Amino acid sequence: MSAATAHTGTPRRRTLAYLGLSVLGACIGLLFLLPLWWTFVNSLRPGGDTFRYLNPLQWETFFTATPTLSNYAALLHSDLGLATLNSVIVSAITVVVGLAICSMAAFALAAIPFRGSGAVFIVVVVSFLIPFDAIAIPLANLFRDWNLQNTYAGLILPGLGNGMAIFLLRTFFLAIPKDLVEAGRLDGLGWWGIFRRIYLPLSVPSLIGAGLTLFLFQWQSYMWPLLNGTDSQHILGPIALSNLQGQFNVDYGVMFAGSIVLTVIPLAIIIGFQRYFIQSVSTTGLK
Amino acid sequence: MNLLGSEDPTTFAPVIAAFKTKNPDITVKYAQVPFDQLNPTLQQRLGAKDDTIDLYTVDQPRLSQLAAQGFLEDLSTLKEQTKAAVPDAQYSVNLYQDKLWALPVWNSTQLMFFNKKSLDAAGIAYPSIDPAQRMTWEQIAKDGKAAQAAGTQFGLLLEQVEAYYQLQPLAESLGGGSGITGDKMLTTDITNTGWEKAMQWYSDTFSSGLSPRGVGGFQTSPLFTSGKVAYFVGGPWDIGNFAKSDIDWGVAPMPYFAGGSQATPTGSWSWGINPASKNKAAAKKFLEFASLDPAGNLATTDATTIIPANTAATAHYLPKLEALGGAKTTGLANLIAHENTQTATPRPVSVGYIQFEELMGKAFADIRNGSPVDERLKQATQQINDAWKQL
Repeated sequence: MSAATAHTGTPRRRTLAYLGLSVLGACIGLLFLLPLWWTFVNSLRPGGDTFRYLNPLQWETFFTATPTLSNYAALLHSDLGLATLNSVIVSAITVVVGLAICSMAAFALAAIPFRGSGAVFIVVVVSFLIPFDAIAIPLANLFRDWNLQNTYAGLILPGLGNGMAIFLLRTFFLAIPKDLVEAGRLDGLGWWGIFRRIYLPLSVPSLIGAGLTLFLFQWQSYMWPLLNGTDSQHILGPIALSNLQGQFNVDYGVMFAGSIVLTVIPLAIIIGFQRYFIQSVSTTGLK
Repeated sequence: MNLLGSEDPTTFAPVIAAFKTKNPDITVKYAQVPFDQLNPTLQQRLGAKDDTIDLYTVDQPRLSQLAAQGFLEDLSTLKEQTKAAVPDAQYSVNLYQDKLWALPVWNSTQLMFFNKKSLDAAGIAYPSIDPAQRMTWEQIAKDGKAAQAAGTQFGLLLEQVEAYYQLQPLAESLGGGSGITGDKMLTTDITNTGWEKAMQWYSDTFSSGLSPRGVGGFQTSPLFTSGKVAYFVGGPWDIGNFAKSDIDWGVAPMPYFAGGSQATPTGSWSWGINPASKNKAAAKKFLEFASLDPAGNLATTDATTIIPANTAATAHYLPKLEALGGAKTTGLANLIAHENTQTATPRPVSVGYIQFEELMGKAFADIRNGSPVDERLKQATQQINDAWKQL
């Protein structure tokens, strides 16, 4: 009898523990979402009301009964629209051209045996271990000499050769069986054919992962456009957002609305490609 | 020609348009850099002799260092004209080693705003706008606590809680001086009795809960407009926004310590010419228009609430500013004119000001968060001296 109770009790206890953990996990997940939600709610309120319901905490801290889109309307009169468009253009070109360059570099390092490939690989690894901010100032001086200041090319170029993306892709490429390369060779494929017809089709998840790395580098770009002397025609999203903060006062409502706009775009892209992204990180080097 | 600054483009649109009407052959293009990034961006681009900047906005206390680095064109030929056009404090802040390096465009002061509903609830009389009846910090702290007891969340809040600009007058009022002394203005003096007493008082306003610790930077005025603060010390730039808010407020002179001297902040922005510019003549013409020509200088304040530096422009401007607040700001023009000429205490002119301001900002932040005052001021002295050794 007691044994029977123990038998039915254990799974029930397990279910309870499982439920408890799930609820706890969900609560912790919601805590991470909270700041973003608070930003969103306050983007629907006039700026003067941002701190009104903050202390003590009340239901109105996280909800508003009278949402207004006036902050979003105010964004229409700012540079944010043009800046978002510029950011999308710069990021998109960086992803397309950058992926072409990085995947070819990674292929050369992973599949083509040549003398010095180890040294080249070390240079690539070192290049992404040095923070970009550390080389930005001398690089900006070079760009000025080359008349690339205040141009789209000047904004895009530093994002193209991304060491991290090359590293990710090379690791993935190394796991592709060499038998496939040999089979391709027997069918008369050259290096380009092997890259184009064998490696690329097999590497879609890791290409998406590397593409996101390239995209985020440009989407968050803040210091570089400032050093590069960008004017109001070439302005990028993060700069326009920062410009919303005046010297003497800040309209938090408009600021939060701008933040939401700039967050939604990468959020949509990441959620859309999430499956591939997780796959690419989890399978890199394992195949 | 190109002008670089940290203001919203709409701020300078009127002065650029007014200049264009008079000088159709010169086109002025304005580029904005976020306020927090203005100084690093200028350092890098001017250091690289970037000729796409012709004219730029100069934070007045940073002028000596910019001039010493060779980032400003000498404008000494305009000395006499400038001296005649602006108040003395606005002329002298643009001098370094007896040469004129920039022309003043804007000026500033600090005022004390109060929340009428909050004071009514506590039965406290409104402070007078008359500078002769200036309140003391001791009285404000006492009344602020009474207002808190009557239901207002916070008694007192300074707009720039960690900025030397706004906190210097506390020490000045108690005889502590600016914090920089010596012939070369490179000797730190922030551990004297005046500074220690002032900072202890400031620290106490936070530890007693009179002022909130959580809100920082230049992000405090929304707290006043949401009715949570009884007394708020801010600038004339707040008047425009407060007038649009739905709380009932009034304005009074910035307080001082009982028995101490009356000191208020002053100074704002000048504009200077980049020596690497290829359009110096055009830049100079525009600069003279924006600073020395009363109409041009007035136009720089069309789209924002800030005091113009030019004396004739100020005389036109102050009644306009007073009208902006309606009945709430009656007497404001007189008050600001009084503060500009009688109590304005400029920030020290020193090539080490930039390091001084940054390290003092950190010290103020620690002090308001509870660091022991005398120890933290000693530590700041050490840090500033170390930073200055590298000059």
